[in-house]
Formats: sequence, C-alpha cells, structure tokens
Amino acid sequence: MDPLLYVLDLIVFIGIFGIVSLSLNLEFGFAGLANFGKVAFFLIGAYTYALLSQAGIPFYLCLIASALISAIFGLVISLPALRLRADYLAIAILAFGEILRLIVKSEDWLAGGDWGVTVARAISITGASHRVDALINIGLVYFCLLIFFVIIQLLANSPYGRAMRAIREDELAAEVMGKDRTKFKAQALMLGSAMAGVAGGLYAQYLHCVLPGMFMPMITFTVWIMVLLGGPGNNWGVLLGATLVEVFERGTNIAKDYIDLPVDPSNLQYILFGALIIFVLLYRPQGILKESKIRSKAQRLAFNGRRSAKNKGS
Amino acid sequence: MEDALLKIKGVSKHFGGVYAVNGVSLEVNPGGICGLVGPNGSGKSTLFGTILGLHKPDQGEIYFQNEFINHLPPHTIYERGLVNAFQIPRLFYSLSVMDNMLVAARGQEGDRLFNSLFLRGRWQKQEKGLIEEALDTLEIIELEPWAFTPAAELSGGQRKLLEIGRALMARPTLLLLDEPAAGINPVLGKKIFQKLKALSAAGMAIFVVEHRLEILFEFASWVYVMDKGRIAIAGEPQDIIDNPDFYAIYLGEE
Repeated sequence: MDPLLYVLDLIVFIGIFGIVSLSLNLEFGFAGLANFGKVAFFLIGAYTYALLSQAGIPFYLCLIASALISAIFGLVISLPALRLRADYLAIAILAFGEILRLIVKSEDWLAGGDWGVTVARAISITGASHRVDALINIGLVYFCLLIFFVIIQLLANSPYGRAMRAIREDELAAEVMGKDRTKFKAQALMLGSAMAGVAGGLYAQYLHCVLPGMFMPMITFTVWIMVLLGGPGNNWGVLLGATLVEVFERGTNIAKDYIDLPVDPSNLQYILFGALIIFVLLYRPQGILKESKIRSKAQRLAFNGRRSAKNKGS
Repeated sequence: MEDALLKIKGVSKHFGGVYAVNGVSLEVNPGGICGLVGPNGSGKSTLFGTILGLHKPDQGEIYFQNEFINHLPPHTIYERGLVNAFQIPRLFYSLSVMDNMLVAARGQEGDRLFNSLFLRGRWQKQEKGLIEEALDTLEIIELEPWAFTPAAELSGGQRKLLEIGRALMARPTLLLLDEPAAGINPVLGKKIFQKLKALSAAGMAIFVVEHRLEILFEFASWVYVMDKGRIAIAGEPQDIIDNPDFYAIYLGEE
C-alpha cells in the first residue's frame, strides 16, 4: 500500500476522533458527565448522513442534519438520564448505545441491517487519485474540527464554562449558587452529541459505508482513553490524546507485519490499552496536560495587572 | 409584621420517623442580624436546608418577600436574593479563588449558552466589574494574595472565609450563614461580624446560626432558640440571656 496514503488516512482518523474526544471533553472534562454511550451519537450521526445522502441530499445538509438529529437524541436521553446518579447515568447511556446498534443490525428495512448502506463521498472529483481524495477529506474533517475547537474553547473560558466546571466540582453547591444543573448538563449533552453526530457523518462518508459492526462499544472506550490520556478539561490535551491513541493503534497494526509474535498484536492492543489507562489513572490522573485555567479577557487583564504591579513592588 | 422579609409558617420536615423540624414559625425582618441558636441536632441546619429549597417541607409555608417559595428549585431561590454559606465549606476546589467568587455573582449575562458565545462583549464588560468587586471582598477577608491560586490550596480557616466571601458576591437580600465564626480565629471572627453588621446596616438581612454566643449576642438584634425541632424561645439577646430556660436547653442544666 502507498505509504503516503497511509499517513493521510491516519490524519483523517485523528481528525474524526479528535472531534469525538473534544465532545467527550465538553461532557466529561468540563461538565463532569460520564457519557459511556459516545458511540450511540456517533452511530446516529453516521446513519443519518448515510440515509440522507442516499436520498440525494447535498453533503453539508446531511452533516447539519447529523448534528441536529444527534442533538435531539442527546436531549431526549438526557431528560430521564440526568435524574440518575453519575454511575447509573454511565450504565444507562452505555446500554442505549448497544440497543441502537442492535436495532440497526436487526431491522433490515431501516438501513440494510448487517449489510449496511453504501455512502457516497461528500466531495468527489472524477478521476482523482486516492491521495487527492484523502486530502479533500482532511480539509473537510479539519474544517469541522476547527469550528468545534473554537466553540468549546470559547465556552470553556466564559462564565458558562465556569458554571459548568462548578457543577462538576460540587453539583449541590452549584445549584444553591444559582446554577440550574439540569439545564447545564442537558445542554452539554446536547452539544456534545451534535459534535459526535457530525464526526459520525464524516466517518460514514470517508469509509463509504455504514455497518453495525463499525459501532461497537470499543469506540466509546477508545475515545475515553483519548480524553483521560490527554487530559480532561484541556482541549489541546484531548487532541494530543486522540493523536497518540490513533498512532498507537495504527502502529501496532503495522508492527504485526514486521515482528513475529505467537499472538496477533492487534488483539494485544486491547490489553495494552487497558494497561495504559490503569497506568495513567494511577500515576497521572490529570492526564498529560493539566486542566486549562479559565481565562476570560477581563481575568487575563486583572491577572497580568497584578503580576506587573508585584514585579514593580519587588 | 406584614413586611417581614422571610416568613415561615408552621414548617415541618421529617426524615423517616424523626421530626428534624417540627412546626417552626418565625420571621426575619429586613436589615439587622437575626440569630438562631440551639443545641446540636435541634434542627437548625435542616431548617436552613428547607428555606434554601434543598428539602421540600412536609408541612407549612415559606414566604420570601411575600412570595411563596416552597416549590421553587434552589437555583431560582438564589436568583431571588436568598443566599447561603455552608457550615462546612463547599468550594469548587479545582477552580481558583477568583473563579469561586465569580461563579456566585447573580444575574450573569455569560451564564447562558447563547450569550457566552455570541454576546461576548456584553458579559466581558460585566465580568470586568465583577472582578473588581471580587478583589475588594477578597481584601476584606484577607484572601487577596491568593486570588489566582486554586481553592484547594487554602487552609481550613481560609476556606471558611472564602465560603462567606463567595456568598457576599451575590449581593444577597437575605444571607443565611451557618456558623460563620466556627474554625476562624477569634479576632477575625469578630471582624467578620463587624463587617456583617455594617452590611446589615446598609440593608442586607442576615440570618445566622452561631454557637459562639458571646459574639452573636453582641451583634444580633433578635434571637430564636431552637430545641428538638421547635422554636423554644424568641427575643432580644438580653431577654434570652436573662431567661433561665435558655440555659436548661443549651447547657442541659436542670
């Protein structure tokens, strides 16, 4: 296989999973919601995109629809789920993801069941090589990633993000300090689901198809590893986490062609991931990068003003 | 009195078979410090929790500024100006001292998802004023040098001070304080009460639970004594001190 294409393909995957980890960072890193059903919204986005693009709707509308429909599902599931305690919430959403996958798998009329649906490329140029095709995808994926990154970064450094972090720290105290915790959590879940939905749409069109087997719970756990490894509460951190995990995953797949082992290294991956997550949680629970501080413009000014005053005084 | 700020009528709250609060009626008037004392387990903190909307009362009615607030969720009650500082500080420990203060401000424009993204100029202007206000309050509670350090790095006493300072950021109409002087050195404890007295003279009503009676009785204008979930005695500090029942309740003397 063309080695350059391999790298381009890796870059596309980092972008798509970068979006999903940013969305989990919003939900878990900032709002403290243990969403163990990330793959559900990824699936909804992918199938929405696939079915609409099959109906001949232009790709950008399909992506917007993926975002909207995932967001609606996020909101709907948040209504009953947010009444649950954090650990039950995690289990409830995890089950939701599996149920969705089994529905699309067994209901053939919906989206081809096990055979899935073939998806057309978002932007296809006739006669373009695979490399050009990958480059177009990189442009599309990173355009979306940039938009979401800016949105979350702005939110994280606003009073809204501060209220979210306060709810994560102590729900009850935040509620008594005037923050409507149910509203904040529902919005976080909605926004996070919309982002995961767009990532799903991009994934579907990049892989040319959607199949139930593409949405195993392992996707959720991989995204969790990205976030925990990179640093929850730090947007740069989770992107770094996404990059490291993708490179690692690809790396072990390549390594198997060169290293002779009695077992298949791609099966070892899961064991290594497990070991990695235990290692991170034990020795660096805050992840590679620490949580970013809240820096609104006014705060930065006050902070810098104080520091310069202190320097003058000493 | 018709224009009482907080009116509680026959409020009861039981957990299982135990009545923590049993038919309590009381009023807190605007301006001035109103005290609530009583032995441990007499229901003071439960009463506070009920006023804040953390527990729904089983019976009775609570009015704040003549509005029935029994059914309101805690965050709405807060927005009305009924603000609380916990007995054991419940800070947002990974956030900085400044952020802890700013979170508490009422009516922030940037608290809404839409505004935080699209009306950035508006909340940033507001935020600038809030930071000034926070720094002023931090100066009073002697925490200004720690403004940008995480709350987790504060000592026990400082945490307590931040808990009170944070509540002041909301510019409360009625401030509920659960043992503000506990765990703080006596000089600073008295200083806090002097500050509270000044604030109450400026119009803020304060309803305070305090075991340090010598401080409370110096500053309070009215005191309720609670015992076994009921209001046992009510009156001006001097009347309470002169009442022999008070010693029986508080110190268990026969």
